[in-house]
Amino acid sequence: MTELETTAARRSFRPGGWYAVFGDHATVLLPPSEKPRVAALWELVDDGAGFDEVLDALVSGGLRELPGFVLVSAEDGTTQVVLRGAARALFTADGEEVALDGSTATTWVERTLSGVTRSVIELEESDETMELGVSVGLVRVSRVEEPATRPPAAVVLLPEEVPAEEPQEAGVESEDLTGFESGEPEPEPEPEPEPVLSDEQLTERFPAPAAWAPVAAPDPGDHDGMTGAAGIEPDDFARQHPGIPGQQPAPSVTSRPVARLVLSSGETVEVDRAVLVGRAPEARRFGSHEQPRMITVPSPHQEISSTHLEVRPGSGADHGSAVVTDMGSTNGTVLVQPGLPPEDLQPGIAVQLIPGAIIDLGDGVTIQVTNP
Amino acid sequence: MSGATSKVELHFGATTDVGKVRTVNEDSYLAAPPVFVVADGMGGHSGGDVASRIVVEEFAELAGSTHDPRSGAAAVAELLERCQSRINQYAIEQRLGGADRWYAGTTAVVALLVEDDGTPKWLLANLGDSRVYRLADGVLDQVSVDHSVVQELADAGTITRDEMSTHPERHVVTRALGGPDDAEADFFLLPLPAAERLLLCSDGINGMIDDATIEAILDNAGDPRDAADRLVAAALEAGGRDNATAVVIDVVGLRTDDASDAAPLTVSLEQKLGALP
Repeated sequence: MTELETTAARRSFRPGGWYAVFGDHATVLLPPSEKPRVAALWELVDDGAGFDEVLDALVSGGLRELPGFVLVSAEDGTTQVVLRGAARALFTADGEEVALDGSTATTWVERTLSGVTRSVIELEESDETMELGVSVGLVRVSRVEEPATRPPAAVVLLPEEVPAEEPQEAGVESEDLTGFESGEPEPEPEPEPEPVLSDEQLTERFPAPAAWAPVAAPDPGDHDGMTGAAGIEPDDFARQHPGIPGQQPAPSVTSRPVARLVLSSGETVEVDRAVLVGRAPEARRFGSHEQPRMITVPSPHQEISSTHLEVRPGSGADHGSAVVTDMGSTNGTVLVQPGLPPEDLQPGIAVQLIPGAIIDLGDGVTIQVTNP
Repeated sequence: MSGATSKVELHFGATTDVGKVRTVNEDSYLAAPPVFVVADGMGGHSGGDVASRIVVEEFAELAGSTHDPRSGAAAVAELLERCQSRINQYAIEQRLGGADRWYAGTTAVVALLVEDDGTPKWLLANLGDSRVYRLADGVLDQVSVDHSVVQELADAGTITRDEMSTHPERHVVTRALGGPDDAEADFFLLPLPAAERLLLCSDGINGMIDDATIEAILDNAGDPRDAADRLVAAALEAGGRDNATAVVIDVVGLRTDDASDAAPLTVSLEQKLGALP
């Protein structure tokens, strides 16, 4: 066993459905429905973001879209806590117990505590009694306790940090094992399993889409009852993201804007997701969590098309900067990048934007690209 | 409706028919401003009509609601999730009850009028192969993109657009409500001047009559109720091999004086042609 694993974990947790992002300065807990946000928050928290920065990112899309969350950040002996939704927390601060319940507030419960020695956060009802340890990482939890009071059964680390399991590691000294086990609470006798189908059983009963075809196929050529799902791998038809094959695509909504657009009207727009600009822009085929920003610009001479161009966070080689794409506009788009001659954008071809670039849509409408 | 949305009025018509071949109408629709839904159920033993009815029941919650594009998309996504779990729950109950091959699923197309900074817009959502079309300046445009095997094959260039209507797997959907996978809808946001007339329909319409016929009917029928009736009648006349449902919605009273982007609607065709190179 490696040293990493014997180092005492800072926290212990019980497995569950919520997402827990543990960083050096902040802990974020999100309900299962908020899966699309988790990756971006992990990036932020792992980079060492503190309370304000993480809270900004959490509520950037509006509070209504976030049914529940917990944010805990401890710095210089002061602990800041925000709870929203079903989560409950119990803190021991300066020897006193402070109980917080997110469901008691319509917006959120916020508290600043000093001298916190222990915290327990309960997120969902669960029969889970297994305690696992973690210091920094991304895990799914039903309950979180800090510091880890019980000896953790295992240390969970991010996959990239887990050393490949070497065969010889199987030969763990038996003394260690005994000691390890005795430190664990005696497992309760298994409660009678609820008559709830496990995932495996569910899959069996509700099998892969292949078996999901009509019960009795009507005579061929007939429309009747033919609409059905077939043996399709959903991944085959996943929404296609631009980028370099084999490389991790950029998230469609980034945690921090990659650029700021300053329109000739004076309006400014942050590029942390797709931005569509036009006379009467339309957004097509977006997911519920990645709604593009729509910028309507005046075009008295009709030189600007209804959906003229798109600016979005780049992926692949363009990761970290914004890219502009002409959406097949009638009169085209001219891009002037610092130190480069003006270029006409080719419809559908994304071009990386350098800060200082000017995008000319016609009709006197220009967009200046600056750092966020 | 209240606030700036009161600038526009929605006129609509909805018609559904079991068709000439099937015995059960598994389509369901909802027309409850500002929300409109068509759901095409699939599955035997009354599974399909239960599934599509669940969708209509859930979306009735949005009747009379006021949403911006973002909260509207969140509300629609949440309702679709609720439909998904209700349909699957129902399926599990049926299976536990002994109908071990019971399944149910449904498509869904949703149109919700939302308000974006005081400007009304159409927020559309699609799961499966029911469709949203719009008619603007007499020209029909299919807005939604089917979640079907043939659409994916056509997108990949494996088959041509023309082969889509004859391909043996043309009725097989790749995303739908009901079933083991999470079904993520495609969303669309359209400014109103670009969609003076909207059509939501099940594949019993567009599978029986071609886009040119749909365009002609939508363009010629003045009243949206007539348009919906005529579309279903045309689908029946063409064979009526599937349940056919059409919901037609007109946006009336759109104020164009303060919307610079609506200017092209007020210029004449000659002016427009003259402006072209």
